[in-house]
Amino acid sequence: MPNARVLRDIKARNVVKASEVLRRAYLYVARNETLSPQVRHQAQLQLNTFGKYTRPTTVKNRCAESGRGRGIISEFALCRYQFRLKALKLELPGVRKASW
Amino acid sequence: MAAAAAAIRPMRLAALTRSRCSIFQTAYNPTSARTGAKYLRARLRGPSMVKYYTPEANIAQIMRQWPELEMRNFAEEERLQDVEDKKKRGKGAPKKAKEKGDSRRASRRR
Repeated sequence: MPNARVLRDIKARNVVKASEVLRRAYLYVARNETLSPQVRHQAQLQLNTFGKYTRPTTVKNRCAESGRGRGIISEFALCRYQFRLKALKLELPGVRKASW
Repeated sequence: MAAAAAAIRPMRLAALTRSRCSIFQTAYNPTSARTGAKYLRARLRGPSMVKYYTPEANIAQIMRQWPELEMRNFAEEERLQDVEDKKKRGKGAPKKAKEKGDSRRASRRR
């Protein structure tokens, strides 16, 4: 069972994907200076009604094992300690100790 | 050839830009007004965001999708057995409180 924060992040990602096109459309209208200010304001108000999980800023890369939010290596979706543990057990393909 | 070809009239330059844009089908924006086109032009990030976490293998899901495989969920069976054992010992889950005063928390206050 993954971490609670990871579950929340998964939910955010799904919601962002579902609402992305709509959000972009409203954003286009709200930021278009060639349109009248009333229309732009309306679009901005509509954008404000969107929930927090529709915003891509709520999405954060987390460690899939521990749920840690910092020190994440995105390629493996692991935090640095989990990455180290798995790499030493040779569970990560193509990863080996560096020496040069 | 003449050195007096110093300044080409701005109208001609604007006409040139306009025709160039119509030929190459680009947007004509001489004043650089902000049209919000950048929000439409940018690529969608949703699909790549969703792919970050690998989906975990779920025995219950596999059992639902392919019932012909006749798989058994041992962890779930063990959990149900534990619940039955607890009930036999009298340690099962307590009854759900119907009214507000019935719950254990409310009776503890007194």
